[in-house]
Amino acid sequence: MDPVLQTQSLTIGYKNGGKIPKVIANELNLRLNAGELVCLVGPNGAGKSTLLRTVTGLQPKLSGEIHLSGRRLESYHPRELANQVSVVLTSPISVGAMRVDELAAMGRFPFTGLFDRMSDRDWEVVHETLRVVGVDGLSQRYVHTLSDGERQKVMIARALAQEPHLLVLDEPTAYLDLPGRVVVMDLLHDLASGHDKAVLTSTHDLDLALRHADRIWLMDDNGQIHQGAPEDLVLNGSFAQTFNRAGVSFDPLSGTFNSQNSGTKMIFLEGEGTEAAWTRRALRRAGYGVEEEWMPGIPRVCVAALDGKTAWNLETEGREQAFSSVYDLLQGLNL
Amino acid sequence: MTNSLKSQNDVKPNRLWLFGLFLFAVLLLFLLNIMLGSVRIPFKEVWGVLIGREGVRESWEYIVRNSRLPRVLTAALAGIALSASGLQMQTMFRNPLADPFILGINSGASLGVALAILGTGFVGGLFLPAANSGDEFTLALAASAGAGVVLALILLVGRWVKNSTTLLILGLMFGHATSAIVSILIYFSAPERIHAYSIWSFGSFSGVNWTQLKVMAVVILAGLALLLLLPKGLNALLLGEDYARTMGLNVGLLRFVILLSASVLSGTVTAFCGPIGFVGVAVPHLARNIFKTSNHKVLIPAIVVIGAAVSMAASLIAQLPGSQLMLPINVVTSLFGAPFVVWVLLKRKRGAASFTV
Repeated sequence: MDPVLQTQSLTIGYKNGGKIPKVIANELNLRLNAGELVCLVGPNGAGKSTLLRTVTGLQPKLSGEIHLSGRRLESYHPRELANQVSVVLTSPISVGAMRVDELAAMGRFPFTGLFDRMSDRDWEVVHETLRVVGVDGLSQRYVHTLSDGERQKVMIARALAQEPHLLVLDEPTAYLDLPGRVVVMDLLHDLASGHDKAVLTSTHDLDLALRHADRIWLMDDNGQIHQGAPEDLVLNGSFAQTFNRAGVSFDPLSGTFNSQNSGTKMIFLEGEGTEAAWTRRALRRAGYGVEEEWMPGIPRVCVAALDGKTAWNLETEGREQAFSSVYDLLQGLNL
Repeated sequence: MTNSLKSQNDVKPNRLWLFGLFLFAVLLLFLLNIMLGSVRIPFKEVWGVLIGREGVRESWEYIVRNSRLPRVLTAALAGIALSASGLQMQTMFRNPLADPFILGINSGASLGVALAILGTGFVGGLFLPAANSGDEFTLALAASAGAGVVLALILLVGRWVKNSTTLLILGLMFGHATSAIVSILIYFSAPERIHAYSIWSFGSFSGVNWTQLKVMAVVILAGLALLLLLPKGLNALLLGEDYARTMGLNVGLLRFVILLSASVLSGTVTAFCGPIGFVGVAVPHLARNIFKTSNHKVLIPAIVVIGAAVSMAASLIAQLPGSQLMLPINVVTSLFGAPFVVWVLLKRKRGAASFTV
C-alpha cells in the first residue's frame, strides 16, 4: 500500500521574485503511513511551517516530488486535495459569532455544492467528528466563548470533518496549558492509531513529542531532517546535537532539557521517592551538584516522611537544622 | 435521528421572528416615507395612488409618483447595496472598520464628479459642459466613469496582488491621491462650483428619476445576485485564505467575484446618490449583533432587511417632516446612526469584542 505522504528529493523554500530562491531544506525523502503520528520538531526558524505548508499545497515546492496516496500533489484538483489533506493552522482564529457545529460543518465544504446545502450524511459526519474529538456537548455553544483548548479541539473536528487521509497541524498546542497539551496530543495519537489517519504535527513540546509520536522528524538548522522513533533519535544523539545550545543540555536519561548551572557547590542528598526527587530538583536549581555518596566536608540533606509530614534535615559543619518545607531548606542553605 | 440532527441547525425560530419584524419595519418606513415630508399626505390617498385609484388630488399624485416613490425606492436600494458591499469588504479583509469605499471606489467617483463640476472651470468646458447646471444625470455619468475606472484598477491589481492587506493599503493610498487632486481642483475653483460639488458630496436620495432608478435597480440586483453565490466562500474566508484554500475553494476566483460584487454595488450607489457613509460599515455590525451570528447564510438576508430599514429611516429623518427644509443624507446617517450603533454594541455586555467581523 502506498504511504499517505511521500517525498522524494524535495526542496522547500521561497521563490525570491526572479532572484535565486531561498532554500530552506533540500533532499528531503520523507514517508508517512496511515495510522502513524509523526511529530515534526526542531528549533525556531528551522523551517517546520514551510515544510507543512509545502506538503499541504499551500506553498509551491522548489523541486523534487510530493506524493499523496501514490499520486503527485500537483495532479490533484483543489477539491480532491481537500479530500486528501486537511489542516489546523497555528494562527488563532477569530470567526466572530459562530456556533461550534457551524464551524465544524465548514469541514464539509469540499463535499457540498455552491450553496453549501448540507445533506443528512454531512451532518452525521460533523456530529461524529465532534464526538470523536470530545466536544459533542459544546455543539450549540459560540466558538468565542470556548477555552483555548476547547477551541483547538473544534478546529481539529473541523479538519476531521473533511474526512482526510492526512491531517496536518501546525503547532496545535502552542496556546494551551500543560494538561490541554497532553489532551490534544493524546487525541492526535488516538486519531492515528484508532482511526487510521496519518497525522503530521509540528510542535515545540519535545517532552510530549517524545512520549506520543510514533516517529519524529527532527529538523535541524541546516535543513536536515532526522527520522526515527523518538527513542532512536535520543539514543543516537540526534536530539542532543540539534538542540545543543550554550548553557542547555539534553539529558538522555530523563528525556528533558536541563540548564547547566549546577556543579559549583556539592551537597549530599539522602532520601527516597517523590520527596527526594523534588528536593534534588530544588537543590540543582539553587546551584548545587547533588551527590549520591557522602564525602567529607560537604553538607548533608536528609529528607524523610514522618507521620504523614515531610521533614528536611540539614547537617553543615556539625550544625544540624530541621526544616518543614523545601523553601525553608533553600533559605537555610543560603545563610 | 438524522431529522433531529438537521432541525437543530436550521434557521432558528427567533431569527424568523426577527426577519418578520424587520420586514414589517421596512413596510412601515416605506409608507411613512411616502406620507410624510414637506406636505403630509393621508394614508388613504397614498394607498389610492399606489393601487392606481382614480380621483386622488392631482398635486398629491404627482408628489407621490415623481418625488416620494422614486426617493424611497432609491433609499431602500442604496441601503441594501451599501450594506451588502460593506459586509463583503469586512469579511474579505477581516477588518471590522472596512466599508464599501475602502478600496477607493468613492474616491474615483468623487474625482469624476469633481472633474465634471470643477474641471470645467479652468479647462474651459473641456469636460461635460452640461455639468455647469449640476444636472444629476451628468453627475451620475461622471461618478460612474470615475468609479468604473477604480473598479477596473482594483480587479486588475487584485489579480496579481495576492495579499489582501496589500490590496487594502493600495486602496487607501489611491484614495489619498485622488482626494489630493480633488483638493487642487477645489482650490482653484469658483465658489459656486465648489458649492455644487459639496452638495453632491453630502449625498441625496432625491435626485434620482424613474429612468435612473431603473438603471440603478438593474445593476444593484445584478450585484446582489453575485452575492447570493458567495455565502459559502465568505464563511470560509472568516477562517482566513489559507483555510479556504485547503477546503478546496478557488480563492483567486472568490476574491475576484467579491471585489466585483462589492465594487459594482457601492459604485452604483455613489454614482446616483453621492458618497453615502456610515450605512455600509454599520449595518453589517447591526446584523451580526441582532442576529447573533457571523454566518453569511443568515447575514446576507439580514443585511437586506436591516440595510433597507436603516436607509429608509435616514431618508425619512432627512425630510424633516412638516418643514420645508431637508438635511443631507450623510448628516443624518452619521448624526443619528452613530449613537444608535454605539448603543447596540454597548448593550451586549459579553462577547461584544468578539463580534468584530
